[in-house]
Amino acid sequence: MAAGASPPNSWRDPSEKTLGVMLLAPAFILLALIVVYPIGKLIWNSFHDLRLSGGGGVKFVGFENYLLVFKDPDFWNAATNTVLITVITVPGALVVGMGLALLANLPFRYKWPVRLALLLPWALPLAFAGLIFAWFFHTEYGVVNDVVRRVASPAEPAMWLLRPNWAFAAICMTIIWKTSSFMALILLAGLQMIPRSLYEAAEVDGASRWQQFWQITIPMLMPSIVVALIFRTITALQTFDIPYTMTKGGPGNSTETLAMLIHKTTIDYLDVGYGSTLAVCMFVLSLVVTGFYLRHIGRNA
Amino acid sequence: MTGSIFDSRSLRLIAAGLVVVNGFFPALWILLTSLKTETELVSKPITWWPRNLTLGNYVQAFTDQPLLRYLGNSLAVALLATVFSLLVSALAAYAIARLNLRRRQLILSCIVASSMFPLVTLLVPIFETMRAAGLLNTYTALVLPYVVLNLPVCTLVLVSFFQSIPRDLENAAMIDGCTRLGALWRVVVPLAAPGVFTAGILSFVNAWDEFLLALSLNSSASMRTLPVGITLYQGEFTFPWPIISAALIVAIVPIAVLIAVFQERVVGGLTQGGLKG
Repeated sequence: MAAGASPPNSWRDPSEKTLGVMLLAPAFILLALIVVYPIGKLIWNSFHDLRLSGGGGVKFVGFENYLLVFKDPDFWNAATNTVLITVITVPGALVVGMGLALLANLPFRYKWPVRLALLLPWALPLAFAGLIFAWFFHTEYGVVNDVVRRVASPAEPAMWLLRPNWAFAAICMTIIWKTSSFMALILLAGLQMIPRSLYEAAEVDGASRWQQFWQITIPMLMPSIVVALIFRTITALQTFDIPYTMTKGGPGNSTETLAMLIHKTTIDYLDVGYGSTLAVCMFVLSLVVTGFYLRHIGRNA
Repeated sequence: MTGSIFDSRSLRLIAAGLVVVNGFFPALWILLTSLKTETELVSKPITWWPRNLTLGNYVQAFTDQPLLRYLGNSLAVALLATVFSLLVSALAAYAIARLNLRRRQLILSCIVASSMFPLVTLLVPIFETMRAAGLLNTYTALVLPYVVLNLPVCTLVLVSFFQSIPRDLENAAMIDGCTRLGALWRVVVPLAAPGVFTAGILSFVNAWDEFLLALSLNSSASMRTLPVGITLYQGEFTFPWPIISAALIVAIVPIAVLIAVFQERVVGGLTQGGLKG
């Protein structure tokens, strides 16, 4: 559009700023209400003895809650489980997701069943994935033990969700299944952007498929991989739904995550002060992990 | 893929089969479970195909628990959250994409960074605030946080759609006497409809799937959403698996139909602003 034909409300109109503030106001009011204020309140809570169950009132206790956290075996147990789940399921989902993406990228005549097969696990609520796999891993009537019995016929069926390490493994497998399809969708989009000519040139140079994968596919996919890894890590640190619906943290508290401990402390026991302190610790943990991650990946990429 | 072992048609079929089985088997297994009788389910060795098909579990799923009510709650919460997410993020996205604002990148970063905060850490103060405001067990308690949850994805998707619409179209409308907001409503919104639609589906799925807040804020039987309600089908010592399976199928079908119909849009939106694990 020619600059001379300036419309009544031109792009340089001073009311632009007012309009901008008006348009952005709802979003920022909501962010203030649901993110900024709660973070402030969380930090304030963590320095107070604040229980909603009794009529005790609020008492300033300084760093007492934090000292309690460091001496709390439940915290260290939950923190270890959370970190383990992250360390196992994030690379696990990446490997499985890469496999799915490579398979799904083959030239099929009918693309929709494959695409839908990647979308369905993504769209399924995590809680449903947990319920479905709890049934899969049922000791007596689960399909997993049925397949194991048919293939390997062990003397004793594995008591998946009833033994700490087995329950942990079952939860990790479920999380990997649930999250790998999201990885696959992101990676598939990346794969489809790699120009074919790169492979053709490599072919001419006599590169093997394996060399092509490591020399072309992986480097070209790196941006997609980094994005997928970062978001997966952030969500893995918050793991709640799948262990909650599969084991409720059991047996004992062997599969309890930080999110579950915070939920139990706050919602079930109504101990808001201590729950907030746990939440602050979890927040710091996730900052450290993502920060570390970002720097490390940033160097390598 | 020249020279690939997957050049042969049958190997391609195997590849497709692997992906399809991986994606569909869990849902299919739950469907089969939901059609079996309780006696068949607890007989060993377990059967894969139901011997006697029954729909009794579906009847029981609706009578044992207010499943219809859960379905209604999920629909209401997800739809309200979607409408408000779109409204709030469309306004913000328009401002970021179109107005001559300084630091627009910073504004967008602020909105996106808000998604980095672990929801669990916000749970405690949100619970406390909603409790103090008497909002526990209301749709509002869930819709407000869900709008914030959806804000980053919706804003990212909409900003890129708004930026793809030529400014000249808007200028032309304004020369013809439209106001700024009139041009937004009559020209930009219709042209951005595919983007609005994509953002809407992503919001809907996000809200439909959310569990932690729904469990913590809306725990009374009449206000539970589907994930919470179905998780609580289990008694203290009993897992009525056939009934849970039937309820799961009822809950999975709407979302499965939605993504099946709009799969290309969902994939497009996910890869554009995909922030959900």
